[in-house]
Amino acid sequence: MYKVTFKFENSEDVTVFAAFGESLLEVARKTNVAIDAPCSGNASCGKCRVKLIGGELDSKKTRHISDEEYAAGWRLACVSKIIADVAVLVPDIASAYRSRMKVADLSSPDEIKIFDNIKKSIAEAGIELKNNLEIIRVTMDEPTLDDTMPDNERLVWAIRNQTGMEHVKLPYSVIRKMAHVLRESNFDVNLVIRKTSRDIFVYDICSGEKEPVVAGLAIDIGTTTVSAIIIDMLDGKILAKASSGNGQIRYGADVINRIIESQKPGGRDKLQKAVIEETINPLVKNMCRQAKLNPMSIYRMAIASNTTMNHLLIGVDADPVRMEPYIPTFFKTNSLFAGDIGICVNPDAHIILAPNIGSYVGGDITAGAFVSMLWNKESFSLFIDLGTNGEIVFGNSDFMFSCACSAGPAFEGGDISCGMRATDGAIEACVIDEETMEPTLTVVGDSGTKPVGICGSGIIDIISELFRCGIINPKGKFIRDGERVRRDSDGMGSYILAFEGEEAGSSKDVEITEVDIDSFIRAKGAIFSAIRTMLSYCDFDISMIENVYVAGGIGSGINMANAINIGMFPDIPVEMYHYVGNTSLAGAYAMLYSTASERKVYELASNMTYIELSAIPQYMDEFVGACFLPHTDASLFPSHG
Amino acid sequence: MPFTPKSGKFNASINTVEIGTGDKAVKIGGENVFPLYSFDAPIENAPKVGIEITDFGMEHELECIKKYYEGCTTLAEIAAKAASMEGVDFLSFRMEGGDPNGANKSTEELIGELKEIAAAVDLPLVVCGCKNAEKDAELFNAAAAALEGKNAVILSAKEENYKTVGAAAGLAYKQVVGAESAVDINLAKQLNVLLSQLGVDKKSIVMNVGTAAAGYGFEYVISTMDRVKAAALQQGDVNLQMPIITPVASETWGVKEAMSSEADSPEWGSQEERGIDMEIETAMAVIAAGSNAVILKHPESIKTISGLMKELV
Repeated sequence: MYKVTFKFENSEDVTVFAAFGESLLEVARKTNVAIDAPCSGNASCGKCRVKLIGGELDSKKTRHISDEEYAAGWRLACVSKIIADVAVLVPDIASAYRSRMKVADLSSPDEIKIFDNIKKSIAEAGIELKNNLEIIRVTMDEPTLDDTMPDNERLVWAIRNQTGMEHVKLPYSVIRKMAHVLRESNFDVNLVIRKTSRDIFVYDICSGEKEPVVAGLAIDIGTTTVSAIIIDMLDGKILAKASSGNGQIRYGADVINRIIESQKPGGRDKLQKAVIEETINPLVKNMCRQAKLNPMSIYRMAIASNTTMNHLLIGVDADPVRMEPYIPTFFKTNSLFAGDIGICVNPDAHIILAPNIGSYVGGDITAGAFVSMLWNKESFSLFIDLGTNGEIVFGNSDFMFSCACSAGPAFEGGDISCGMRATDGAIEACVIDEETMEPTLTVVGDSGTKPVGICGSGIIDIISELFRCGIINPKGKFIRDGERVRRDSDGMGSYILAFEGEEAGSSKDVEITEVDIDSFIRAKGAIFSAIRTMLSYCDFDISMIENVYVAGGIGSGINMANAINIGMFPDIPVEMYHYVGNTSLAGAYAMLYSTASERKVYELASNMTYIELSAIPQYMDEFVGACFLPHTDASLFPSHG
Repeated sequence: MPFTPKSGKFNASINTVEIGTGDKAVKIGGENVFPLYSFDAPIENAPKVGIEITDFGMEHELECIKKYYEGCTTLAEIAAKAASMEGVDFLSFRMEGGDPNGANKSTEELIGELKEIAAAVDLPLVVCGCKNAEKDAELFNAAAAALEGKNAVILSAKEENYKTVGAAAGLAYKQVVGAESAVDINLAKQLNVLLSQLGVDKKSIVMNVGTAAAGYGFEYVISTMDRVKAAALQQGDVNLQMPIITPVASETWGVKEAMSSEADSPEWGSQEERGIDMEIETAMAVIAAGSNAVILKHPESIKTISGLMKELV
């Protein structure tokens, strides 16, 4: 056995022992050292860089590491084998996946506005914004030697008297503390209850002098990012919000790699732990701190996520999702409580899971389709959720079709060498001068902020501009030379948006490479071909679409005209496009706060037809045709050029 | 009421591309009907047949091919002999030995051989590469220059090297540029778009949309050609109206039906007949699916296919 030491810039060393020949990445994973490896360790993404600072490693040189970098000690963890004692430095970028992604997490005023509009349109659709949690105040006669009824019966009697309901349930958590609370408050208490037509369930008990907070938690679990909000269940106000990378990322960037990982011994537990203990619980803790809230006063949760994510979340076998004929364990389940899966809120909190409708169209889409309101219009609308999986819903008040395609993490800044979330320093928009090939950048942050990376909306702009200026060809390869176009020793081209030093705010150039462009072209090709295939499957055509709702983490900065220019969206007037933000989170919020919304989502899910694109032979043809700028069939983009 | 047949001819047509110069020049393409549908409208240029030789001469050939070239010692003699076979419309020279992972012959050596061949025959020439995109770029660049004025087909530019090959063959030396893609209608079209954006005249592009020996994933080949022709004629897609030229010999003479000796597979009968059958069947199928020219090797196959074309068109 050899000693392996992981060193970090900002935290304590981690030391473990490993056997000869073990992969450094595997050792890191076993030890819970976060090293970003979206490709699951195939040496294809180049993200798992570490710096050798002591001892030895048997490590191949790959195209991701230049000669100088290799000499300076940089290695890829996935191709490094343990052959002796070794110490490596894990740079912050390698674990940056926790924060690198653009998340529509209601952090900007624009996003909050979008969110408020959604609430308004739900109310306008006649759906009651109200749930069955409430606070009631109950007073009881204090017990005496003559009145010896036990506390629990006394409380139940009082509740029956006050509400007229026969069935009252007191859970263990209430029974455990009631003796103390009742006596301290002189038998005048506030109760947090759930009232249905059949019974009353008492979640909590506190002194009648105190007004308890009744909070709820809505979470959007994306393959790449997780965002959450805590709300006041009585008035719907947002009390706190937060987001972070999904801790499962180090086990693979997409759902298929995650499922494969979950099949390894102990894998299901490992993945469940990564999303609950490492992702959701810290988010909840963080938000509770913001809102000065006891996590135990979160009495209900709603989760919207894709089918694989909700299967891995509750720890059921997701393998059948991946295997033909693609049958998941459940579409919906309502017998799940926070305590069952170790989420640190009130253990009796019911978990509402947005229903899945297929192996690759999950609750994030049913929730999203609900808040996009396409079910409430006569005219035909298209709903597109741009995530690691792209999901599409098409229809109107009479019918809805949906399908999913694999777009990869490109829309969220993953798989892009300088990709980042839309925080300070991210390039969110770009114009390039055709003559001089000089870029003009719009960077997130105060004026004067230097660029350090590119977020989703920036990538669309950059590719559209590079193409318009003839710097790249329709295949995304560089065909013009200039000061800003560079080629590495393998001949791969890249365009420098900001040189290090003067222009860039980071220690390396901010650039976009042919590999980045290729990943993005595939992602946009997947989306466009899915739209085309689904429409032609329903015998519809693009001209019948009146509204397109674009959702996902790509950000409100998305330039629809440029997205059309690169052939990502159909060529219809830009006024028809609406960015609707993180609809998965908004849908989870609606289901959490409004019982009527919850029912409506179940109803929509059971009325939505799921199309399995992989079963349509035309899809592959469409996909190859769409992997071109703007498209192999230029007649689909008449307004282009 | 008398029956009046309705003509299935289209308003669009396949481009006519001339290859070679002088009396022996041939034209391919030009039709405005589906492959061999001469009953719908006359097909001016019947599909053409080329004969293939390689820079290895007779070194790697089967006995059944060698016997036709008895007495030939130089590549020039082999080329002249090939050109004299019955039914041959053009000569194809494959620079197989250029492969860096094989014999790795130098560009100078191969281009020297190409020049000898060009001097020995007056038939139109098709130049094929070694299948290594990087080396091919170099070879084709030199070949286009060496054959200046001969209006030869450079077969072919691929996505990886289209800029070099297209610029040399199409722009600098005005040869006919072959555009090769791997059995996918979209990839075929994309390469044509890239070549024409580079400035290569659409009318001097021919396509190799990929092929296989019959029975070896051949349905994809047929379906691709079918759809290319349908897009070119029915939808008038100008980026797919280039004629198709399909190298058949290099596929069919490598499969076990042609390679397995009579000693190894006695139940299959004569090896020579099997090889010829594979070549003829594959060639006829790709012609029926839309190829405007095929490249074959066995003189008997060439005679048969060119005879068939005379009868059918």
